[in-house]
Amino acid sequence: MRSCSLPPSIERARPLLGTVVAVRVRGAAPRAAHRAIDHAFAAILEIHRLMSFQEDGSDVSRLNREAARAPVTVHPHTFRVLAWAARMARLSQGLFDPSIGSTLVEWGILAAPDAAPLPGGRRASFHDIELGTGQQVFFKRPLWIDLGGIAKGYAVDRAVAALHACGVTSACVNAGGDLRTVGTEAERVTIRTAATPVDVLPLVEIRRGALATSCSSMSAPPHTGEEVGCHVSGRTHRVVNARTTVSVLATRCVIADALTKVVLADEAAAAPLLRRFHAVAHVHHPDCPGTGWRTVGGLQ
Amino acid sequence: MKNARLLLIPLSPLALVAPAYAVTYLTVEQAQTLMFEGSVLTRDTRELTAAQMQAIETDSGVKVTNPQVNAWHDSTGGWFLLDQVIGKHEFINYAVALDATGAVRQLEILDYHESYGGEVHLPAWRRQFVGKHHGSPLQLNSDIKNISGATLSCGHVTDGVRRLLATYALVLAAAEH
Repeated sequence: MRSCSLPPSIERARPLLGTVVAVRVRGAAPRAAHRAIDHAFAAILEIHRLMSFQEDGSDVSRLNREAARAPVTVHPHTFRVLAWAARMARLSQGLFDPSIGSTLVEWGILAAPDAAPLPGGRRASFHDIELGTGQQVFFKRPLWIDLGGIAKGYAVDRAVAALHACGVTSACVNAGGDLRTVGTEAERVTIRTAATPVDVLPLVEIRRGALATSCSSMSAPPHTGEEVGCHVSGRTHRVVNARTTVSVLATRCVIADALTKVVLADEAAAAPLLRRFHAVAHVHHPDCPGTGWRTVGGLQ
Repeated sequence: MKNARLLLIPLSPLALVAPAYAVTYLTVEQAQTLMFEGSVLTRDTRELTAAQMQAIETDSGVKVTNPQVNAWHDSTGGWFLLDQVIGKHEFINYAVALDATGAVRQLEILDYHESYGGEVHLPAWRRQFVGKHHGSPLQLNSDIKNISGATLSCGHVTDGVRRLLATYALVLAAAEH
């Protein structure tokens, strides 16, 4: 009688943020649930359009093209994400850094933006991003920001806000593994690690919280002869720990998303930051003794 | 995070595989109701000629592998198109609603399947976790609906939509005139 004990749920999915975004609403009448899901998708689409590295019309593209010449006014959401990114960069002393766009382009992970001045000379960092009044952003030198390490988490939080606004009391938004749950119903999430096959199935049970996972899987080198991954240390601009998987549990998805990158870059340095945000990181590396998992930071 | 915990569930040696992920979001009928509520949809399946397939490929830059166009139209000139895209590791069934001008009004993924790995059924659960599920094996995909750490690929859907828009312009809309 298992199905009778669970509230009815409606789940839909769309391709957004470069992945499949699924929104599940429980315990609401179908029409209300669909309406709420529509609003959640609209919220995510808005963030996608504002913060895409590739789309010419996005705020991120405008910044990369113009902000080194003159201040650029951005949407309040973009400004808020930049403020979160700056805060995470400051607190992690650059382990998280949104100015890594040029390195990701160099590695062939992102395509070079059109008509954007080439970052050159001394390597730029988050210190070169100035957040002014009236949502104005100025780059002190040419640089390419990429908000891929934080915007997805923020988008999930916006979708959750949209669901709350629609009166939804139980839901889950999952943007390709960055997810947040609403309500007291426990969600069970399997974590896919960078290493397969698995002989242990990692499962997170989560209530009213957010989870983000980043895997540092390696791919073929395009030109350098070194392996590259999709994650870069903001401080060293080198690839982070190979074959490591980091899952961070936090109250908000924007925090969880950003912290996965900090933990991937430097686990020991990330511990105080995890505690500050009451977050926990579960880290997997195939060479770690036992199950391969260890836990870092937070209230354990 | 006090409201969360990590459980490491041992799998039997026979299950040494990456868990496959498969999820159904909407049936075709549910998608039709959602996207064309109150409208009557008429099945309007088309079989593409070799020349049409070639023209669609040239126009969209996307290979056409299936000559059948699973289409429905409504009385206002709108279209409901059902399509499948196959990636390196996944296949996705999705539906697109076009308005009378041929613009995408809505897109919904119907189901998502990974085409590698294996289904993992989990027979041995710790009692404190099993809770109300005690006595019945939990199954990935039905009892555990979320996966984290795998960025589910959707790039092929974008290509698929481009192919469908070319199909609309060169075949469906052309036939209306």
